[in-house]
Amino acid sequence: MIPTLGHLAVVIGLAATVYAAGAFLLGGRSGDALVLTSARRAMYAAFGLVALACLAMVVSLLTHDFSVLYVARNNATTTPPFYSVISLWAALEGSILFWTLLATGWASLVLYRYRARLPALMPWVGATLALGTAFFFAVMAWPGDPFVRVTPIGLEGNGPNALLQNHPFMGLHPPLLYLGYTGMAIPFAFGMAALITRRTDEEWLAVVRRWTLVPWIFLTAGIVAGAWWSYAVLGWGGYWAWDPVENAALLPWLTATAFIHSSMVAERRGTLRTWTHALVIATFVLTLVGTFLTRSGVVNSVHSFTTSGIGAWFAFAILVTLGVALGLLIWRLPDLGDRRPPGAVVSRESAFLFNNVLFLGVTFAVLFGTLYPVLVEATTGAKASVGAPWFNRVNAPIFVALLFLTGVGPALPWGGASWATVLERFAVPILAGVGVVVAAWALGVQDAAPLGILGLATFVLVVMGDEVVRGARSRARSRGEAAPIAVLRLATRNRRRYGGYLAHVGICVMAVAIAVSATLGIDRTATLRQGESLAIGSYTLTYDQLVTEPLASDPRVIETRAELSLAGPQSGPIATALRDYPNSSTAIATPVVRTALGEDLYVTLLGYNSTAGTATIRVFINPLVMWIWAGGAIVALGALFAIWPDRRRAAVSAAVAARA
Amino acid sequence: MRVPWLRLLIVPLVVLPLAWLLFTGLGRDPRLIPSPLIGKPMPAFVGTTLEGDRFSSADLAGKPAIVNFWASYCIPSCVDEHPVLLDLAERYGEGVQLVGVLVNDTPDGARGFLARYGQVSWPTVLNTDGGISIDYGVTGPPETFFVDARGVVVARHVGPLTAAVVARELAALGLTP
Repeated sequence: MIPTLGHLAVVIGLAATVYAAGAFLLGGRSGDALVLTSARRAMYAAFGLVALACLAMVVSLLTHDFSVLYVARNNATTTPPFYSVISLWAALEGSILFWTLLATGWASLVLYRYRARLPALMPWVGATLALGTAFFFAVMAWPGDPFVRVTPIGLEGNGPNALLQNHPFMGLHPPLLYLGYTGMAIPFAFGMAALITRRTDEEWLAVVRRWTLVPWIFLTAGIVAGAWWSYAVLGWGGYWAWDPVENAALLPWLTATAFIHSSMVAERRGTLRTWTHALVIATFVLTLVGTFLTRSGVVNSVHSFTTSGIGAWFAFAILVTLGVALGLLIWRLPDLGDRRPPGAVVSRESAFLFNNVLFLGVTFAVLFGTLYPVLVEATTGAKASVGAPWFNRVNAPIFVALLFLTGVGPALPWGGASWATVLERFAVPILAGVGVVVAAWALGVQDAAPLGILGLATFVLVVMGDEVVRGARSRARSRGEAAPIAVLRLATRNRRRYGGYLAHVGICVMAVAIAVSATLGIDRTATLRQGESLAIGSYTLTYDQLVTEPLASDPRVIETRAELSLAGPQSGPIATALRDYPNSSTAIATPVVRTALGEDLYVTLLGYNSTAGTATIRVFINPLVMWIWAGGAIVALGALFAIWPDRRRAAVSAAVAARA
Repeated sequence: MRVPWLRLLIVPLVVLPLAWLLFTGLGRDPRLIPSPLIGKPMPAFVGTTLEGDRFSSADLAGKPAIVNFWASYCIPSCVDEHPVLLDLAERYGEGVQLVGVLVNDTPDGARGFLARYGQVSWPTVLNTDGGISIDYGVTGPPETFFVDARGVVVARHVGPLTAAVVARELAALGLTP
């Protein structure tokens, strides 16, 4: 009954989105307000319907209704309620259902917010969003039906993927990432609408900037949460492996970040407009490519779902989207000419231009590395893989250059700067950077990578600090405000600029943490007998005993854990385990991580011998890792600060509206 | 305003190669990884068998051989392939030599498995330190390697053996039941 209801909701949802797309197109041509209102309401209805379908799936999972194939494959009677609920996005069909929920949610939100604004653009925005969501409904109606039934009905299901029921982060990372992915349809829809209506002016740019930043925040948080999940669950001591699916999330993030920067130039100077449009298109197409890579079985990774017919549908959608969008962009090229000649070499816009070239360089390198195995197999039939060392070597220098620009760009004036200004702005920051490098070297840091990044990050931070101090000082002088209030007012009066600075602070924190943790970590592996110890850094781990018992929360899972006593900082008993899931041929590691401000102690059980009672453990000391997550949070907060509605500006526009 | 029609040719130039790339990638199984050992001499190994005898891979020379990696905890895959192995040993008789290699398992566990699912006529090597699994690049039991009379690996099968796989691989080695 309930699954039938879910299926019905999907089918009606498909009809609603197809209707909405048709009505938006019709209303866009005729300008009939009634038709447009009905189109908008059809999208709200689609959102309600897919929410109903999701609810039907969650109820089926919670009640262990094994008549539904998806539930039989991804749930068991012993699955804890939390993991039952999040199984909604733990496998292919469910994740498409959840994806559709978020996509229609974003579409409804945008259509509602702009129901009385931008009347020329909105019908085309609506049509694009409706077509996009209709595609996902169609996938669920045909090749990826989440409510397929089975007979005979089994008494027990297969249970969720072992990796995905091992950590509560599975409840956080996919929704954040999906919110980012699906939200990128909004700037794309505005971009298409602007090209169709030839309103490629600053108005759409302002809207698109905001609506790129919103999903960008989620995408950033989702990527960082994914790295954290990988660190806390997979037991290999690292957080980023250049896995195809990590790359799939990074690619649209890179182009969206490039867009956020280039759109500032387009808005201020009227240049880079074609380029900015191309980035919006690229971002959306790359989110589709990411979905394709993870859901078609084309590349292998920890995330890839089983091979399915959905791949062909996604490939088709990518090609149509890319073809139409690119065609439209080329068609409208005459409208997109630069309004001003480019500025001087040493100017803020050229810093932004370099920033974009570098972001594009990383995007191309990551895309090439990800698709290279597919390319090799398509041409020669041979298997190939591109490993993390290649990605690191290619991308590290580009990221270093980007970090440098992070400091240079915002301090250079628009139009052009004289060498005297450059010297005046950058002399102190350069000296500070060199000073920190010398100090760190004197304190014993010998590797070039962390030293260089530390110096660069100091340079960037001092440049920004200098900017804030200058601004606050002039404000304090002219208005007689106390220094802290001057800083606060300065920031809240100019949210975009100072939100950007805050995001850059987060990037600096992350850069230092990544460089240090990647180069200065140590690790040791040992097979211990009971009572034996392993010393690493300032810690000593003593192996007490091996315990094998079923998990209290899910008795089908057998946990074997090595109990250890930790001496040194954060001393006490710790346990690191391997869990055997009935539906997984390999045991799943459950590493123990002791986090401190300076370093993480990370202990993972590699293997054990129950007859001899020995345990093989690997211990990592990962310095500064928590600052990667903290830096990610600062980046997201900075962006949030930048887009936070400005009360003063809102009041002004309300007053203007009232007068009109 | 002049519409740049010719430039629209960029669209098929970008889209068509991508279409070819995406669609040829479909329908392949990315998990199917050929073994680098194929066409190379089999990695040699020496060890103790379940019966306590010494076994050397050099003993396999001169006849086609099957090296089968298994474990008692590998249920249901190893249980599924067990009758296939028993049937193969009976039907091909002296034509092919079988040897089992344990993967991360205790001798008692393995003996219990054989007592329950059927005793076998071929030796099983203990592989206590897991070195043989590493040399053969075994990802998990069951996994089977087919070796020709010269000691060269000709095929690798991941997952439980089936009668059809056995017939195909042994026919390629020139053996018939």
